[in-house]
Amino acid sequence: MQFNDVTCPHCGLLCDDLTVEVNDLSVQLKNNNHPLCKQAFEDASFNSGQIPSPLVNGSPATLQQALDAAAQLLKNSKQPLISGMIGDIQTCRDAVALTEKVGGVVDHANGSGIRINTSVMQRMGEVRTTLAEVRNRADCVVIFGAGVLENFPRLYERILTPAQSLGNDATKNKKIFLLDRLDKNEIPSIKNKGAITYFQLEAPSLDSIAHKLLEVINKPIEIFDEIDDTLQILIDLHQTILNSQYTTFIWAAGEFKSDIAEHTVQTMTQMIKQLMEKVRCVGLPLGGSRAEVTANQVATWQTGVSLPVAFMSGAPIHNPILFDGMKMLQNKEADTLVWITTYNSNDNPPETDIPTIVIGHPKMKCANDVDVFIPTGIPGIDHRGLACRTDNVATLPLKSIRTSQLASANDVISQLSQLL
Amino acid sequence: MVIKLSGGKLYDPAHKIDGQVTDLYIVDDKISKTAPANKKIDHSYAIDDCIVMAGAIDMHTHIGGGKVNIARTMMLEDQHAHPDARSGKFRSGNGHIVPSTFSTGYRYAEMGYTACFEPAVLPVNARQAHMEMADTPMIDKGGYVLLGNDDFLLRMIQQGASQTAVNDYVAWLLDATQCIGVKVVNPGGIHAFKYNQRRLDVDEISPSGVTPRKILTVLSKAVHDLGIPHPLHVHASNLGIPGNFESTLSTMTAAEGLPIHLTHIQFHSYGTEGDHKFSSAACQIAEAINNQPNITADVGQIMFGQTITASGDTMMQYFGHEHANPKKWTIMDIECEAGCGVIPFKYRDKSFVNALQWAIGLEIFIQVNDPWRVLLTTDHPNGAPFTSYPHLIKLLMNRSFRNDVLSAIHPEAQQISNLASMEREYSLYEIAIMTRAAPAKILGLTDHGHLGDGAKANITIYRKQDDIEQMFTKPIMVFKNGELVVENGKVTKTVQGITHVVKPEFDRSIEKPLKKYFDDYQTIAFNNFRISSDEMAECIGGEIQIHPCKLN
Ligand SMILES: [Zn+2]
Repeated sequence: MQFNDVTCPHCGLLCDDLTVEVNDLSVQLKNNNHPLCKQAFEDASFNSGQIPSPLVNGSPATLQQALDAAAQLLKNSKQPLISGMIGDIQTCRDAVALTEKVGGVVDHANGSGIRINTSVMQRMGEVRTTLAEVRNRADCVVIFGAGVLENFPRLYERILTPAQSLGNDATKNKKIFLLDRLDKNEIPSIKNKGAITYFQLEAPSLDSIAHKLLEVINKPIEIFDEIDDTLQILIDLHQTILNSQYTTFIWAAGEFKSDIAEHTVQTMTQMIKQLMEKVRCVGLPLGGSRAEVTANQVATWQTGVSLPVAFMSGAPIHNPILFDGMKMLQNKEADTLVWITTYNSNDNPPETDIPTIVIGHPKMKCANDVDVFIPTGIPGIDHRGLACRTDNVATLPLKSIRTSQLASANDVISQLSQLL
Repeated sequence: MVIKLSGGKLYDPAHKIDGQVTDLYIVDDKISKTAPANKKIDHSYAIDDCIVMAGAIDMHTHIGGGKVNIARTMMLEDQHAHPDARSGKFRSGNGHIVPSTFSTGYRYAEMGYTACFEPAVLPVNARQAHMEMADTPMIDKGGYVLLGNDDFLLRMIQQGASQTAVNDYVAWLLDATQCIGVKVVNPGGIHAFKYNQRRLDVDEISPSGVTPRKILTVLSKAVHDLGIPHPLHVHASNLGIPGNFESTLSTMTAAEGLPIHLTHIQFHSYGTEGDHKFSSAACQIAEAINNQPNITADVGQIMFGQTITASGDTMMQYFGHEHANPKKWTIMDIECEAGCGVIPFKYRDKSFVNALQWAIGLEIFIQVNDPWRVLLTTDHPNGAPFTSYPHLIKLLMNRSFRNDVLSAIHPEAQQISNLASMEREYSLYEIAIMTRAAPAKILGLTDHGHLGDGAKANITIYRKQDDIEQMFTKPIMVFKNGELVVENGKVTKTVQGITHVVKPEFDRSIEKPLKKYFDDYQTIAFNNFRISSDEMAECIGGEIQIHPCKLN
């Protein structure tokens, strides 16, 4: 059977124009040939009769046996960590409730990535926009890092080079600038993207390019003693922005150097706010390809604070240093791990020697290596659900397009909660 | 289940009952004035000396949607400073200014509120707004969908579309977003801000080619034609600008006599007189309301202290960002529909402007004669968190308390305000109007906000106290749909409220141009945009109740 308008949860853009063919338990993407997207859907397929069973210490078990084993591990735990959190809204709702019940800590697999934008929002606030606004309003786009186009495969086609646009010729045929450092390996796919002006700049890092541009925006040209090629490009870019109607800066925090990414995102915001004194300028931070936005939105409204959230004292507390999930594992501060991941069989938990419960994708590679594995259906394939898009504004429906016997992750988590 | 409440003094303005001692029965989830025949009474409560009102209704409070999460993120210190460690069957939470969803529900119930309405649901963000409200227990909910800055409507108006076509679009959007009313924020202004325009007057042509007045006229007509009970909910132009009372008066006339609700009108009642070029125009605004029976308003009273402002009005929020306290601010343009701006703010009684804002709100309350047309809000959290309502009620009911507070604010503000000379004190009956009967009436909730036969058994009982603030802070009992859920100001049982919606009839042929608009310009498929009622129940968590519309 064929399904139209299917939402793809495998990158933060949540494209919802997919056609997917479902035959028994096999799933095939029909109208989008990007290898990343195709592969993600293939990962959901299996043959009849291959529906995996729950495993306790690698041996097949009934769902009830697996739930009992998981409950026992959590009862024995003094400091449980609930992580992964790669799921739909309902899965995240139930996972937060479970964490509260066991007095644990909840974080996302990519918690450190979430923190970068959160901390800038906490400290200074941001100026942001959404996908349709960029598509229709922006006449000038500045992309920081070629990786953005690789990791958000359809950004170029759907948003940056629309067939039609609400504005005028300038918003339809946008000026698109891609900034990156010179020594980065040539990315072949950029070549096919004819609308892009690709500046490979002499600079030690993408971060330093951002800082340089801030200087150009903030300071009069006279103060630079020597204007080299890189500086000239940035000066010209600044002029272009000042002459444009609506400029959008696009970045993905993951492209920046991890130890200074927060500072770089702050620089982005400073640039935008500075430019806003004269012209319209906005930011579009991209992320959420492992459902980070969904998890963080749910945690924020249910607990009042962003991830990570700790419930040891009864009330939710946010502390990104003390409760960083990955660091807790490294420092052996958690004694039991519940790893929830529903979209991708490769999203294994980090290596750890503490008891580990994995709830999620039926084909998880790690299934045999953990204490308890409970396979679940995939939101958007086996179950209905909802997911939040990269811009933190749009929420899209995930359909149920396949009939399998797999329980939903949220059902499994709430059953587990009831045993505690 | 039959519950008898005997000996209470009822305040039920919908039935003109002003403090009469009357027994009341709860039969299952409904109110009955008489004991049901052939049924035994399961519980009986003697509530002599107690005050009985319907559950309160907050018709303008920002409790759901992306801007609230942005506000929560920006107010981390306040979240941590107010931990809410509930246990057992209750969920934990935190925050005073923008509490987490569970805490919001518990605290509203603990003040005797049984229904709250989120006034700024962006269409593309409607799912999230409803999810947050679904995770807000205890109270009924509803949302007003934002229109009037969306490119689809502005293009329709600019291209001269018929009123019928506009009506169909409005009705379609209400259905697609599961809302109960239509809100317009700074008509055309949020859109104009995307073109770097920083101010827009009511009769000025915006970059969309239409005037705010035209948008208001067309939308108030649509709401009227479709028979939507709640009048067009208007956040007027020029919020916070000295002299804006003139554009507020223009906004009133733009409705051309049709019903219109002006929200947080305190922020729109400023003059330019005096040394500071900032003065109260409460008198002009109250007089205009008194003279135009088609107008209702809520006040958006400010209270002194820290809060955060969250609004769809990017244009005026950007203008206000210089006053951010602490110094941080967020602005978002959103999906060719609208936007949002989130800015922390500290209202200080020693600041001339803030002190006068406080006085202006109270002046409006006191000078609007008809309590059915001036509703009690702080525009939570913009003027103050909703938990300040009992304090606000005391300011309205107790003149000497009001004058005590007045005597401590900025001296020049005291001097130029007429507040000290105003004698009016609100009665309990009038408070019951503005917090129960009137909001139910202007929302079209026929079985809410009153204590008549057949009404939903949403009942709040207060023990009579000399300190009115104390009394309204801690009702001794709250019943939600007939269940006792709050005792002595504490939640004792968790219940899930319903989502109130309207679904006016419309001609489905509007879907053809809409589908084309989505295909050509939007980033969500037309078929995925609409929230179905079963999605509300199954995925979002909000069961709906549809209220009737009468096509005009
Ligand atoms: Zn408001």
